[in-house]
Amino acid sequence: MKIAVVSPAYNEERIINRFLDNISKLKMPLYVVDDGSVDDTYKILSKYKMQGRKCEILRHEVNLGKGAAMKTGAEAAFLDGFEAVVFIDSDGQHDVEDLPKFIKKLEEGYDVVFGKRDFKSRMPFVRLLGNKLASFLISVLFKIKISDILCGYRAITKKAYNKLKWESLGYEVETEMVIRVAKNGLKYCEVPVSTLYLDAYKGVSLIDSFGIFLNVLRWRIVL
Amino acid sequence: MIEVLQFSALIFSLAMVYFALIHYRKGTISKLEMWVWLIIWLFAIFSVVFTDILRSFAKTFSFSRLFDMMVVGGFFLVISLSVRSYLITRKLEKKFEDFVRKKALKDAKKVKK
Repeated sequence: MKIAVVSPAYNEERIINRFLDNISKLKMPLYVVDDGSVDDTYKILSKYKMQGRKCEILRHEVNLGKGAAMKTGAEAAFLDGFEAVVFIDSDGQHDVEDLPKFIKKLEEGYDVVFGKRDFKSRMPFVRLLGNKLASFLISVLFKIKISDILCGYRAITKKAYNKLKWESLGYEVETEMVIRVAKNGLKYCEVPVSTLYLDAYKGVSLIDSFGIFLNVLRWRIVL
Repeated sequence: MIEVLQFSALIFSLAMVYFALIHYRKGTISKLEMWVWLIIWLFAIFSVVFTDILRSFAKTFSFSRLFDMMVVGGFFLVISLSVRSYLITRKLEKKFEDFVRKKALKDAKKVKK
């Protein structure tokens, strides 16, 4: 199975070099989408590509959000003939060592593979609470049990992408994907992943959570 | 109390007339749109100054007070304008997203060639 790694990046100049170094060890085709960064992220990425690395750089002229960047990256990979993609955050939060777990599950025939973080580790309390509440709400409303709804580390096949095609532009994309997996009856599983919390100001904020909650109610009606 | 309300409504309507004219001059709205807004706000000024004319109109719709009718009318207007703005924003957002994403894919293709 031809699998590529897709990574959305927004203002990651401080950390992207470390991410690129780590991911290059796996020698997998990489698609990085710079989502309208205003810092030097794009310059760093271009430099990395110029060194002859196996990497495609895509750039949104303006910041659209994580959901849009994931869509662009996935479409670029599928246009190049890949059959599945693994999404990984470029902020160093996800461990590239976990990638083979996703590949194994995709090769076993799963349409979607969700990452599952260890809640006993150093996950901030507010995030943990939000995640648990979201999981409970989704399981009640959509009859799908995913223990870590908000984990961005996940993989999908091309077939699944064509069914999922999310409309979310921002951080609500992870939740929408789970809901669409339930609605389309896709074959899914979860794999444990390790996580590092490097930047407390990134990720889903309280206001984002409220927006996601309203969207969940909307998706219950429209999907 | 009524005079204070009337005065506030009058000032607000005059400010909106000014905004309509300014936005026409800036080219944000067309001449036709400017006239539509001018008629709306001039009608608002007229009804604020000559309240008796609308009072009989309010009774026809079983409103005991003119103020009640104005509040209900205001709600209808605000809700319909909010829905319209929401739909337009969603449409523009989608178009904008498509444009930016397509450009990113096109540029990546060009680089490959």
